[in-house]
Amino acid sequence: MRFPGTGLAKGLAVTMRQMTRRSVTAHYPDALPDLPPRSRGVIALIEENCTSCMLCARECPSWCIYIDSHKDVVPATTEGGRDKSRNVLDRFAIDFSLCMYCSICIEVCPFDALHWSPEFEYAELDIRELTHEKDRLREWMWTVPAPSALDPHAEPAKELGAAEKAADKARAADLSAAEGAPAPPPPDNSAEEAP
Amino acid sequence: MSWVQVLFVLLSLVAVASALLVVTTSNLVHAALWLVVTLGSIAGVFLLLAAEFVAWVQVLIYVGAVVVLLLFALMLTRAPTGRQDDLNVGRVVPAAIVAVLVGAVLVSTVVAGFHDVQLDLERAVVGSASVTGGTVFRLWVLPFEVLSVLLLAALVGAIVLSKLRADEPAEAGED
Amino acid sequence: MSDLLEALLRVLVVLVAFLLLPLLVGQAEHKAMAHMQSRVGPMYAGMFHGWAQLVADGVKFVQKEDVVPRDADPAVFRIAPAVALLPYFVVMLVIPLGPGLVGQDLDVGLFFVLAVMGIGVIGTLMGGWSSANKFSLLGGIRVAAQLMAYELPFVLVGASVAMAAGTLSLTGIVEEWQPWWLLWQGIGLVVFFVAGLAELQRPPFDMPVADAEIVFGPYTEYGGLRFALFILAEYAGIVVLSALTAVLFLGGWRGPFEDSLGWLWTLVKTFLVAFVVIWVRVAYPRMREDQLQRLAWQGLVPLALLQLALTAVGVVATA
Ligand code: SF4
Ligand code: SF4
Repeated sequence: MRFPGTGLAKGLAVTMRQMTRRSVTAHYPDALPDLPPRSRGVIALIEENCTSCMLCARECPSWCIYIDSHKDVVPATTEGGRDKSRNVLDRFAIDFSLCMYCSICIEVCPFDALHWSPEFEYAELDIRELTHEKDRLREWMWTVPAPSALDPHAEPAKELGAAEKAADKARAADLSAAEGAPAPPPPDNSAEEAP
Repeated sequence: MSWVQVLFVLLSLVAVASALLVVTTSNLVHAALWLVVTLGSIAGVFLLLAAEFVAWVQVLIYVGAVVVLLLFALMLTRAPTGRQDDLNVGRVVPAAIVAVLVGAVLVSTVVAGFHDVQLDLERAVVGSASVTGGTVFRLWVLPFEVLSVLLLAALVGAIVLSKLRADEPAEAGED
Repeated sequence: MSDLLEALLRVLVVLVAFLLLPLLVGQAEHKAMAHMQSRVGPMYAGMFHGWAQLVADGVKFVQKEDVVPRDADPAVFRIAPAVALLPYFVVMLVIPLGPGLVGQDLDVGLFFVLAVMGIGVIGTLMGGWSSANKFSLLGGIRVAAQLMAYELPFVLVGASVAMAAGTLSLTGIVEEWQPWWLLWQGIGLVVFFVAGLAELQRPPFDMPVADAEIVFGPYTEYGGLRFALFILAEYAGIVVLSALTAVLFLGGWRGPFEDSLGWLWTLVKTFLVAFVVIWVRVAYPRMREDQLQRLAWQGLVPLALLQLALTAVGVVATA
């Protein structure tokens, strides 16, 4: 049988029990939070990888990536060869007051120049100072954690497989060259992978 | 004059002045608030007259309940801040005359009843709950009962008035 | 002269208690409520678990600008907080802490307390009306409706205790008190506490200040020191209600070693009741206006009348 007021008593009991338990508050400034490695804290840039291809700037929905670059001429290394031109990054800045952490720039970068870092303490007193230039973005690169290990039995990354195959192929070619007999070429998987 | 008399006069002046303000102020809510002052100073007068219990009943019932009810009704209906110039109606003069007449009747009753009897505060019985209870329910039990009939009449009147209101739209609908 | 000095001293002590106890209750609320919600509450002010948070709040309130809205009624708007706060101070003057430990013992103390507590509401009403703001006005109307509904059971159960003790004096009531009154006056205790909560507009009876729908009811337009006074009035109200519940229903200073530790008993009981006030705030959601009125008229008033009848039977039977 239900007594009237059991609900009320239950409410009181729940709150009282809660009071005797430890609170779940994160004591942030005193204790840093334990963030998962893939937290979207801030975008870091490996300047050396960037080719100023502008893909990220064009795909960014908030238009908050600013890139300036110029072409540099690399003189030909062989006699009579052609001079090469190369992009040099002058400015790479992300305005974090506009960024919405959608990660599109990181997905789209073909050279893995952009990475998420869990670093999050970059508040500023002035909104204009939230536009961070490439040296700061480069520094954040040191805070990027190594990619987390794959789940057991997970399919390895495609890039890894392709690279291993290429290495196998090269090794096989070397071997056959040493034996002096032409070896049958291994089936080419890269054609299947191509879109 | 002793300090009791001084206080008495002061409180009475406050009561009368705020009572005048109740009827002359140009804002309904202010009138209700001045009524608080009037009732409060009358409670003070009761206190000075050693009627302790009556004084606190005055505060509890009139200040605590009646004025709150009044303010509630005002806020529910219309109570703008600022002056309300449409409060004065043409009946001011006759109303004032009636008020003065009623006052005169009351004053002459009190004067006729008590002449110049002085309350000796040194030997006066403090109007505690038991004294007040005894007086009301022994000595003055008849007027008390008559007063309760008055309350009953007010209750019935209120019911009749609200009934009238409730019936009106129904009658209009039948037409 | 020494009489006057002693009276002054008593008033001074009560004043200190009046300023200190509400802060204690407020801090206890900060912390207890936080832990009931798995938080920690203020942690920094005063270095140790945020004990000085309310002091810091006070300093902040004092620094703020004193704003009076353009369309408000300035005079009424300005004095409203004082009208809301002062009655609680006056009430504290007559609540006994122990035998003789009282600001001023009154023969009709209970009546005095009930009467003066009703005045505080007028301050809230004044604030609600004079702000010239529809949320404030709505809040004011709700305050008035709530007061009228809950004042009746409140006074009725107060009268029941007075009947049981045969006196209106608060000291006298404690002296007459017996432990078995906890059972005899049990209904009264609950009704008194619930009706008192409602008069203070404390959750779950905080419809008048329901911040999610009418901003902050009558206090919407207030800021700075005047707002702080209203809040202080709320917490002083908690102290007064808890102390009254302790004195009327829990036997005040009665308990083991009452001769030497009586005042401590009163304080302990008061704080226990105050803790329940906080606890109830965390545990229950806000009641709707119609539920509020139904609880008062269909729940508390009949219960209070039942208690009154019980008391009468008890008094006649034991007389
Ligand atoms: S995360 Fe999204 S919004 Fe931010 S810079 Fe990259 S693409 Fe732009
Ligand atoms: S997409 Fe990558 S490589 Fe291209 S500009 Fe952006 S960061 Fe540099």
